[in-house]
Amino acid sequence: MSATVSPIREPLIQGKKSYHDITVDLTRSTEQAPSKTWWIAFLISVSLLMFMIFCIIWTIWFGIGTWDLNRTIGWGWDITNFVWWVGIGHAGTLISAILLLFRQKWRTGVNRAAEAMTIFAVMCAGLFPVIHMGRIWLAIFIFPYPNTRGTLWPNFNSPLLWDVFAISTYFTVSVLFWYAGLVPDFATVRDRATGLRKKVYNFLCFGWTGAAKHWQRWEALSLVLAGIATPLVLSVHTIVSFDFATSIIPGWHTTIFPPYFVAGAIFSGFAMVLTLMLIARKVLNLEEYITLGHIESMNKVILATGTIVGVAYLTELFIAWYSGYVYEQFAFFNRALGPYYWSYFGMMFCNVISPQFFWFKKIRRSVWFTFLLSIVINIGMWFERFVIIATTLARDYLPSSWSYYVPTWVEVGIFIGTLGLFFTCFLLFTRVAPVVAIAEIKSILKVAGDQYVGVNTEHHKQVVEDFKKADSEGKAYAADHHNQESH
Amino acid sequence: MTTYSIPSKQRTFLLAGIIIGVLSLVGSWVFDSQEFHMRFWTNFLHNSVFFTGIAFMAVMFYAICNTAWAGWHTQFKRVWEAMGMFLGVGLILMGIIALGVVFGWHHLYHWADTPSVEGDDLLQLKSAFLNKAWFLVSIALIGVWYLFAIKFRNRSIDEDRNGGFDYKHHLRTRWWTALFLPVAAYSISVVMWQWVMSIDAHWYSTMFAWYSGSSLFVSMIAFTIMLLIYLKDQGYYPNVSMEHFHDLGKFLFAFSIFWTYLWFSQYMLIWYANVGEETVYFKTRQDDYPLVFWATLAINFLLPFFILMRNDTKRKFGSLMFASIVVIFGHWLDFFQMIKPGAVHTAHELREGHGDAVGAIADHAGAHGEAVGQAVEHATSTFHMGYTIPGLWEVGTFIGFLSLFLWVFYAYLGKANLVAQNDPYLSESLHHHA
Repeated sequence: MSATVSPIREPLIQGKKSYHDITVDLTRSTEQAPSKTWWIAFLISVSLLMFMIFCIIWTIWFGIGTWDLNRTIGWGWDITNFVWWVGIGHAGTLISAILLLFRQKWRTGVNRAAEAMTIFAVMCAGLFPVIHMGRIWLAIFIFPYPNTRGTLWPNFNSPLLWDVFAISTYFTVSVLFWYAGLVPDFATVRDRATGLRKKVYNFLCFGWTGAAKHWQRWEALSLVLAGIATPLVLSVHTIVSFDFATSIIPGWHTTIFPPYFVAGAIFSGFAMVLTLMLIARKVLNLEEYITLGHIESMNKVILATGTIVGVAYLTELFIAWYSGYVYEQFAFFNRALGPYYWSYFGMMFCNVISPQFFWFKKIRRSVWFTFLLSIVINIGMWFERFVIIATTLARDYLPSSWSYYVPTWVEVGIFIGTLGLFFTCFLLFTRVAPVVAIAEIKSILKVAGDQYVGVNTEHHKQVVEDFKKADSEGKAYAADHHNQESH
Repeated sequence: MTTYSIPSKQRTFLLAGIIIGVLSLVGSWVFDSQEFHMRFWTNFLHNSVFFTGIAFMAVMFYAICNTAWAGWHTQFKRVWEAMGMFLGVGLILMGIIALGVVFGWHHLYHWADTPSVEGDDLLQLKSAFLNKAWFLVSIALIGVWYLFAIKFRNRSIDEDRNGGFDYKHHLRTRWWTALFLPVAAYSISVVMWQWVMSIDAHWYSTMFAWYSGSSLFVSMIAFTIMLLIYLKDQGYYPNVSMEHFHDLGKFLFAFSIFWTYLWFSQYMLIWYANVGEETVYFKTRQDDYPLVFWATLAINFLLPFFILMRNDTKRKFGSLMFASIVVIFGHWLDFFQMIKPGAVHTAHELREGHGDAVGAIADHAGAHGEAVGQAVEHATSTFHMGYTIPGLWEVGTFIGFLSLFLWVFYAYLGKANLVAQNDPYLSESLHHHA
């Protein structure tokens, strides 16, 4: 029994795991009492979450004036945070849908956590436009439904409304995708449980029995969802970029925004996945499932997307000059050398320069360096949105209304609070569901388990020899014959 | 060792194609209704950019697959290696355009005409980039791509002879392919601005290089599908199966949608913001080139989208072949509409007497749409053969360049084994399941 795998691929599951080992290792976090570290992290997260709720109530009670927005700078930390969180929410679906279509087997190590992260990030993101409305009880107005408000409808020409549809659709599909993947794993947890716990997980997995028919339907569903999710990944951040690019504000109106926002979103999403998973693999002892090989692959994605973002930054800068449009030229001059110069250089350093370290294999495989850089990139991508929003708005067409914006404690509090919300959800998730997709890991064991590497290499050599023999005789190599032998 | 040998019948066929191309070029030189032999030069530029770009994309995708540890394509990676070799010819073809810029043989580029630049503030500003030296740099970049392509191919062929189970060749090539990616990403932008976007010298769009690049990428995939079907039909590549075609079909489908995504994003953002300097580009195309403008969208999006949506159409030669032919034509047409309008406008400007009459930028932008109208004034409709829609000379020139491209491709394909025998992913490619 061996699979046809190239001998230069490194194993993705280490420790010579059997199927049973995988079950035990990956269900463990849901079965044991939480550790002290978990409790400390949880208490900190919940405290931040509580503070966020306090700040939001403060905002609603006293009004949006508690933020330092003004007539010139109508969008500040709120929308910066919104775009930042939405961007982070791109990695999960990218990993589960697009990498699935590209048959990247290493995605199985991180897809579950990344999908969960996506959902929590989108929740954090969705919060900001809603509280930014000020009169939050009127949030219902964004929904187009036959109403009692006469002819009052949302503005369908506005990308802000498109955002409502894009993000709610994305959220729905991400949840479905995530949950669909969880079903067989919940069944695995159930099979090991007793009493009430068994009943709960049996409910959660819809009474999954693992019949061939279940698997067949499950796979069909996964494929359909992947097909739907792939265009969604692109559309969501594209529409977020439309919020800016449809306007005629210099620095915002630029046609490269849609693909550049998507690339940036994947970039920041992967950085956040790394930040989380590097901690999780340590705390939950998942080093054999999230190997250095996984980390290296993710770092390569970061290098690639970071460089794409770099191409986009320089394209913008160049075309701003090339356009000969003085306002556009000023917008970029102002970004780099205006009052917010620090954020522009922070952005350039964190997003374009810092990923270049990943050209070196040693750094790609260094856990500490990766962790550090993932945080740097998270910060850099926040700067990017701040540069686009605050820097641009602070210098508008009318110099008399030029302004400088510094957030109040309320705004900072809400942002930090969303981190609390995010981590609270993530920590709870690690308690109730397997953080690594059990069924998917099992599906790649024969190709990517370290105990099969030697066998697979021998098989590879055999295939190559058979091929050469057939080729020299001018015949077709019989792959089918080999398949029968090997499976 | 299976190698490809070009049948003499095919050789004759391609030679005939090249002769048709030469005759068409001569014809478009002699029988042009415009001054400056504009029809000849635009056709020459159009096809040179198109086929050089396809060769570039083959090298780029080869590098991407290699960097991303892809295994499925290994059996037919020689096809991309051979396609990349056209860059050598592209260097000569674009070199001719560059010499034309330097010595003033043609008037493709508004910015290359000194009197026009003198009377035009915008062109003066842009002359720091839109000048002869930078144009030569952009041609030199083809040389850089070509060197990479040769490097990849030589290493790959050497692996056939001297490679073993230590895969040193492959591991070293991976380093080179990774290095090529940023080089490619930056250079394709510069090159696309310089060769194509600067034809409409006043206009700008940050999306342009990515948009035109995606057009070339789709064409490259379509060519790959067609060539593989042909080679299989000749009895080569017995182990390239429907699984591989299925994947290529997915790429054709997905990147046709991606192209449309970029098309829509560029168009919609310019339409929505309604800034005159930008909308003039589409205004010209919609008013004076409506057929080509809308046809490209229909051909490059609707047809591949509906044809390739199903599973089975990606696994049948008939539908794949049809979609590929259609898409190649569509993207060729796309480059037609990127190049012709700006050049026609430049011709008109030069005829009217060098820019000073329309010195002011605002005037200029306003006059833009009208100017094209005048340029085609003797045609009673918007159907002006060779300018607003392709005529026989254009099709003939395309056939000529296509034949040349295929000639070079087959010549290089025949020089090495069809399958890279010592590639570490060969076994995966032989047992590929889509």
